[in-house]
This record gives sequence, structure tokens and C-alpha cells, in this order.
Amino acid sequence: MSMLEIQNVTHTYSSGTGRPVLKDVSLEAGRGDVVAIVGESGCGKTTLGRMIAGLYSPTGGSISFDGQDISALRGRARAAWRRKVQMIHQDPYGSLNPGLTIGATLSPGMLKYGLATRANVQERMLALLKAVGLDATTDFLQRYPHQLSGGQRQRAAIARSIALEPELIVADEVTSMLDVSMRVAILDLLLTFKKDRGITFVFISHDFGVVRYFAQGGRIAVMFFGYIVEEGPTEEVITAPKHPYTHMLLEAIPIPDPAMARERAQAEGDGRLTGDPADSGCVFANRCPLARARCRAERPALVDQGGGHSTACHFSDEVPPLLHVELANGEAA
Amino acid sequence: MTMPLTVNAPVDSNAAPFLAVEHLTVAFGDTATAVKAVDDVSLTISRGEILALVGESGCGKSTLGYSLLGIVPPPGKATEGSIRFKGRDVVRLSKHEFDTMRGRDISMVFQGAMNAFNPVLTIGAQVEHILDAHPEVYPQRAEGRAYFNHLLHLVQLQPDRIWRSFESQLSGGMKQRVAIAVALLLKPELVILDEPTTALDVLNQRLVIDVLKDLHAELGTTVLFVTHDLAVVAELATRVAVMYAGKLVETGTVDEIFTRGGRRHPYVAALIDAIPSVLKSGLTVRPIGGSVPSLADPPPGCRFAPRCRLAEPECHVTEPPLLGDRHGHRVACHVINRSLEGLSQ
Ligand SMILES: Nc1ncnc2c1ncn2[C@@H]1O[C@H](COP(=O)(O)OP(=O)(O)OP(=O)(O)O)[C@@H](O)[C@H]1O
Ligand SMILES: Nc1ncnc2c1ncn2[C@@H]1O[C@H](COP(=O)(O)OP(=O)(O)OP(=O)(O)O)[C@@H](O)[C@H]1O
Ligand code: SF4
Ligand SMILES: [Mg+2]
Ligand SMILES: [Mg+2]
Repeated sequence: MSMLEIQNVTHTYSSGTGRPVLKDVSLEAGRGDVVAIVGESGCGKTTLGRMIAGLYSPTGGSISFDGQDISALRGRARAAWRRKVQMIHQDPYGSLNPGLTIGATLSPGMLKYGLATRANVQERMLALLKAVGLDATTDFLQRYPHQLSGGQRQRAAIARSIALEPELIVADEVTSMLDVSMRVAILDLLLTFKKDRGITFVFISHDFGVVRYFAQGGRIAVMFFGYIVEEGPTEEVITAPKHPYTHMLLEAIPIPDPAMARERAQAEGDGRLTGDPADSGCVFANRCPLARARCRAERPALVDQGGGHSTACHFSDEVPPLLHVELANGEAA
Repeated sequence: MTMPLTVNAPVDSNAAPFLAVEHLTVAFGDTATAVKAVDDVSLTISRGEILALVGESGCGKSTLGYSLLGIVPPPGKATEGSIRFKGRDVVRLSKHEFDTMRGRDISMVFQGAMNAFNPVLTIGAQVEHILDAHPEVYPQRAEGRAYFNHLLHLVQLQPDRIWRSFESQLSGGMKQRVAIAVALLLKPELVILDEPTTALDVLNQRLVIDVLKDLHAELGTTVLFVTHDLAVVAELATRVAVMYAGKLVETGTVDEIFTRGGRRHPYVAALIDAIPSVLKSGLTVRPIGGSVPSLADPPPGCRFAPRCRLAEPECHVTEPPLLGDRHGHRVACHVINRSLEGLSQ
């Protein structure tokens, strides 16, 4: 039994278009693991993350934590689980109430769960600020979120998430609003918590570079319009994807090497970068360069292709190698 | 809506570069506590190039872009230097001159332009307003409409659908491409794009990059784009200018800037090493450490010295000049420039 088990989760927003935002999603994470969720804007990453954190309930399927279905938790068991699972939101204002000082954001939870007393809560909060690389001063505790820079705000949101000593953190696009130079520092900070406290991470991002860095040794799930289309070990998925969609994403990424970028531009891919999902058959068929009749007729299941690397594609073995990987190998040889 | 802001300058002087920024300083506030967002920057833009202006947040990139259009928000103003565009000093133009000389020379797509459309008008109505305001460019409105449709094709959007759409019906990536098409509507000679790929997902970033390359190939418009994403620079720019804390620290071709082991400013090398990229396994990423200093109170000497791995005592005392080699590749670093001869200002 894994710590987090997501089984056949489906979700349709009542206020939405009526189309399911998540379809039959299954995923697990063991204690101390990192599972990254990637995919284009609107594919359902935040929705899934919020469900794991218990902010919404799925309309179908189940999510279990430590073997217990979270929707069935009541009373004390529910309170205990609430403390153990925390979320850092895409927009720091989702994690930080703009009307509360940093101190007023951090202290109530710590007191409620008995992680600090009235006598030592201030001291504990200063220790937290220090742990996330902020000024450990009482003055800082008096500040409001709008008085902080983007990087400081994200660190404060991280402080809030670790204040309750959680076991699992859902980190939703934690670096997308930050400068490149600050990204690695924030990722390193989270990685320290993973290493020192054994925290499990569900790490949501659309940036494969950031994912490759954060989910080293972990796993990646690639989503396309509510479906997981590929899932496997980080390095494998990033260097040798087996689904045409993952391949398209990786070939599209801007790379910080002008010579390689020029070579890649010569060999333009022929899939469609944007467009709606297909209603029947393979959800990617409208945009897929490999699509043919069978793809329109029959929905491919997510199947393990060996070594715990799964894809949902009828023609996985036709996915070509990545050009930038070949170029890099050629250079090395 | 992202109304293209325009500056009309008389056509003459073939000797001067297309656009020349000379010793430009732009400050916010009175002199005692002024934030010099742009501090003694000199830079030229040649006709037809794609110049990337790069640097961390708060380094003065947008402010430099605004000053080319004379729209630095108050209390900010150009306190020193000049901006010569086709032989005329833009800094010295009065607001009235800007307003009355409505033409089609420079336009800008603002940072966050995706959120700058009027929500209660269709995109088509907003385009019509611009055409109405510029009969000097399109005496026949139909001509303007046709050109906008052509631009929409170039940015890979369906014209009929876009004309009828309200902003809320378009995705972020579509809005960014519409904003680019609108900025080109009056056929400017220079278009400034502030963070055109920021906040977009990977596929939309790719589309914007490809679309800008196509537009550039087809129209030959000179492009200045502002970004903090070096991967986008490598894909799109022909030349690069790097700013750090209000100062220009390096300018060169895209290959000069990215070539490993070449003559590069330590800040640029550090910035490139700090990018988590699909090309790198995690082990080869190195954070820079520290942060950009306050522009109200910058450190003496080289502003990067407190974060620099190569810094020597001199760096903390004397400001390094921006010196160029014979190819025009300029770097402002005492240590990097020391061993080289024949460099000049
Ligand atoms: N509260 C809501 N009510 C109705 N529809 C919603 C709601 N929240 C999200 N959606 C829709 O559900 C889909 C998935 O949204 P979600 O925010 O999970 O995507 P995402 O992958 O996190 O995207 P992004 O990368 O842009 O953050 C989208 O089509 C979105 O418009
Ligand atoms: N209206 C203003 N009043 C006072 N200071 C300002 C104003 N606008 C900008 N500044 C300051 O000028 C400096 C440069 O800002 P600018 O917006 O040009 O930076 P940037 O490089 O574009 O940053 P970003 O990547 O965050 O957009 C910053 O220190 C900023 O705080
Ligand atoms: S199943 Fe067909 S359409 Fe779907 S990804 Fe594979 S080849 Fe493409
Ligand atoms: Mg999201
Ligand atoms: Mg800016």
C-alpha cells in the first residue's frame, strides 16, 4: 500500500462545460517519493492537486491516504489527515491571505495542532522563517504579503506549508512566477525538506527543465486534457518519451543553446501544437503526427511498456528519439 | 487594448544607426533617494535585427523599453543622455509632439498585454477603433482590415473567429498572438515586446517563438524583446543586451553570449548555469546565490561583485567600463577584460 493512492479519479465541474476535467486518473506515491505532474495549461493539473489536498472531492473514483479513503474520514482522523497534507498554490495569494501578516498566517495552525504553545510560538515561527531563508525577525512577522517580493512571498508560502509538519506537499507551479535565478534556490529549499524530513511531493509544473531538476530519481505523469498519457521514471520520460504528446512537449521546449536551437528549427515537427481533444478514440488523435484510423476508433489504455514506464498510445514504438538528445549524444561521441 | 504607441521621426540621416541610446539614465524620484532604473546605458539597434534585452526582475528592462517610447511612468524620467531614432532625439520630444506626431514608427506590446484588451468589445471592434484613429496609414479602412487578417494568418490564428471574439473567449497564448498582430497593424519599423512568452505554457511559448520568427522573415520589422528567459533568447534573438541592476553588462551576438568558455560577463555565465533545462541533468545546475541589489543604494564598484565568483578587491571599488572587441562584443568586467588587448569603449 502506497501512502497516496489515486484510483480511477474522474471529475466534472458542475459550473463548467460538462466535459470531464479528469478522466480515469490513477497514480500513486510512496513515502518520500516525488511525483511530478506535467501537461499544457488547462489539462487538469491544479484540479488533481487540489483533490489530493482535499480541497475538492472527485465526482468519481477515490483518493486514499495511508490506506484510508479521504472522503470517508471524519472527526479526529480527518483533522489529523488535514495537517499531514498541505498545498503550496500556483498563485502565492492562494496560500497567503493578503489581509493577514505573516505571523498571523503561521501561528493559528501551529497552536491548533499543538505544534507550538503560546509561550514558544514566536520562537517557532522565527525558526521557520530561518529554515526557508527569510529574515528571522519579529519585524518580518509583522509584514503583509504585499510588502514582500515575489521570491519572499513564495518562501513565506513554503513556511506556511511546512509549519504543520506535513507528510505530503502538493506544490503547484511554485517557481513559475519567479526569476530564473531564484528558481533553483526555491527548488533546493523544497529538496532539503524532502531529504531531511522525508516529505513526499506531488510536484506540478509545465516546465520540464524544472521537473527534471526537482524530480531526479522520481517519477513523471504527463497529462493531456484530463488523461494520463504517459507515466514513468523521470530521466526516462524526459530523455526517451514513449508517447507522441510527451515527445511534442519536449521538442517544443526552448533550449538555451543557439546552435542546437537552429538545428532543431530545421527539422520542424508536424503535430499540431494547440487544439481540442478528440471526443472518441485516442484523446490526442486531433493533434498527433502518428494518428491513423485505429486511433480514431479505439481508445488506447495506459499500459506498462516495461520497467514501470507506461503509455497510452497504440503506436508507442514509432515515437522517434528526441532531436536534442541525439544532437547532445553526437557531440559527446 | 494594447494601443500601439507610436513615434514619428523625420526620415533622413543614413549615417546614424537605426536607433542609438547614448548615456541614458532614467530615475524615479528626487535625486537624493532616486532609483536609477537605467543607469548610463549606451546601446544601438540596427535595422532588421532581433535584439533581446535580458536580466533578472527589477534590472530596468521594461523602463528602458518605455523610455524608447517616451512613456516612462511618473515620477520616472530620463535625467541624462539621449535616444536618437532616425536622427531625432526622442528624449527631447514633448508629450505634445508624441501625441501629434501619430505615425507608425515604434509600437510596443506591454508586459502582461494578454490582460490589456477591453473586455466589453470584440477584438474586431478594437481593431476598427485603431484604424479609425489612423487614416494616414489606411485611407481605406478595408485595406487595414485586410492587413490585420494577413497578420492573423501569420500568427496562426483564424481571422473570422478572432474578429468576433471577446477577450474572455481566447486563451492566454491566443491573446498574446493577437496582441502581437495588433502591434504590427500600423506597420511600425520597430516593435518592442515586453516578456512575450512569460506566463505561457511550453507549447504556447513555442508558438510565439515560431510566429515571431515567421513575422520577422516576412516583414523584416526590427524587434526589441525583453525577457528573463535565456532559452527564449537562444531561440529567437540575433543579438543580446544583458542588464544587471540598471547597468548594461554585456552586448553581443547570440553565439557570443552563449558560447561556453568564450569571453563572457561572469553574470551571464552564472545566469546560464542557473537555468534548469531539459538539456541538463540536475547535477549540472548551479544557482547564482544572493539577489539583485537595491537600485536606491547600489554597491560601489561592479554591481555584481557581491555575487560574483571571480570578484577581486578592485571589483568592489571601481566600476568596470563596458569594453568592446573589434566585433562589437562588449563586456563590463575587470577580470574578464584584463588579459585582452585592443578593447575600446
Ligand atoms: N472551478 C472551476 N469551475 C469550472 N471549471 C474549472 C474550474 N477550475 C478549473 N476549471 C477548468 O478545468 C480545466 C482544468 O483546469 P486546471 O486549473 O486544473 O488546469 P491546469 O492544468 O492546472 O492549468 P494551468 O497550467 O493553466 O494552471 C480547465 O479547462 C479549466 O477551465
Ligand atoms: N513607477 C515606479 N516608481 C518607482 N520605482 C519604479 C517604478 N517603476 C519601476 N521602478 C523601479 O525601477 C526598477 C526597474 O524596474 P523595471 O520594471 O524596469 O524592471 P524589469 O527589469 O522590467 O523587471 P521585471 O522583470 O520584473 O519586469 C525596479 O527597481 C523598480 O522597482
Ligand atoms: S494513439 Fe494514435 S493518436 Fe494517440 S498518441 Fe498514439 S499514435 Fe497518436
Ligand atoms: Mg494550474
Ligand atoms: Mg519588466
